[in-house]
Amino acid sequence: MSNRPGKSTSASQRVRAASNAGKGKSTAWIWIAIVAVVVVVGVVAVVAGRGSSAKGGSASPSGGTIVPNGKLDYGQVSVSGTNLTPMPDNGADPMVGTVIPSVTGQQFDGKQLAIAADGKPHIIMVVAHWCPHCQAEVPRIQGWLDASGMPTDVELVTVATSNDPAKGNFPAADWLRAQKWSVPTIVDDKQSQAGAAFGVSGFPYFIVTDAQGKVVYRTSGEKTEAEWNALLAAARTGKAPV
Amino acid sequence: MNVQSFSFFFAILALGCWLGTLAIIVGALVRRFGNPDAFADLREQVGGVALPLAWAIALVTTVGSLYYSKVQGYVPCELCWYQRICLYPWSVILGIAAWRRDAAIKVYAIPVLCVSVLISAYHSWIQWFPPPSGTSFCTAAVPCTLKYVNEFRFVTLPFMALSAAVFMIALLFVSEPSDVEIDIAEEVEVSA
Repeated sequence: MSNRPGKSTSASQRVRAASNAGKGKSTAWIWIAIVAVVVVVGVVAVVAGRGSSAKGGSASPSGGTIVPNGKLDYGQVSVSGTNLTPMPDNGADPMVGTVIPSVTGQQFDGKQLAIAADGKPHIIMVVAHWCPHCQAEVPRIQGWLDASGMPTDVELVTVATSNDPAKGNFPAADWLRAQKWSVPTIVDDKQSQAGAAFGVSGFPYFIVTDAQGKVVYRTSGEKTEAEWNALLAAARTGKAPV
Repeated sequence: MNVQSFSFFFAILALGCWLGTLAIIVGALVRRFGNPDAFADLREQVGGVALPLAWAIALVTTVGSLYYSKVQGYVPCELCWYQRICLYPWSVILGIAAWRRDAAIKVYAIPVLCVSVLISAYHSWIQWFPPPSGTSFCTAAVPCTLKYVNEFRFVTLPFMALSAAVFMIALLFVSEPSDVEIDIAEEVEVSA
């Protein structure tokens, strides 16, 4: 066997021939097609994104986030810790002084939101889209927030629970967006785990916690502006309204 | 662009990956069971761009993943990290291979990408159908069943990773013989 390349087709020649075969044929059209498709998709995404911004998704004047153009009818919720028991109809609330469970869920755009004992007092407002009292309460509180600004020393969060397409005003995202609701909101799952974690027994439902995450006060029903201010004071002082 | 626009953009690209994969599979089946000379020119042309295209997909996947975690603050779960481990390195390695026209990289890349496909498929599955009892990967702080993105009601982040990995595997399968193979063949021949 000789080291000199022979006249017969060698392995290297066959491989190089195969490799060179494609070189004569331009592949530019493939790249042009790919880039064109990507550009078109990008333009469509930007245009669609502008449309969604008009409906929501930008920072509100009060510093919160307007319920974004989310599509979630139900979120993914996980609860860590022990659920609060429902509030009794009469008498003292046995859950006062109990640390709330950690609830991690999704906002309407899928972003994660956690409600937990994080060193800041909270007011957790639980609403249901079909509840007429919630439909009256949300614009009232939003009006207060627009006028007074989002409190910086108390964390306001909402849980949109008991979501049911068979009931009116569904989905909650459309309702709250229409109200320009600026409070970060967890959309509950089909099992309403987030609502159950806080022992919801009526709507709208409010859970006030201190900075350690301990329940200070729970109440349900529509609130006047004075009562709302009392809830804020309870969160700040750690003492239930008299 | 807001996050919704980015998610829509990446979701369309993910669906495009499946279209590309389907086209490659159909082409391969036609050549295998029908006319072996079918699409010969197209096969050569796609084979020629397969490697740089696979690299571009790895790069876009990496950049997209970092955008969601670093810009949008979506905390990656444990399964996300495993997928990152399988995908991130190819945004560099496939670039080098594309530059050197070294399609032999497929021997190393495809097995790792297959692992990524398995993890992404499992992650997608538990996001679409969350097990009632949870999974051993889930934590309360960073639940792996949490869908940060849910475009078209099924395109989630792990599904995007799955789409990218599957298309990269398909592209690597059809990538052309490399200059490195040619050099090795010449060396063998000369030394013989």
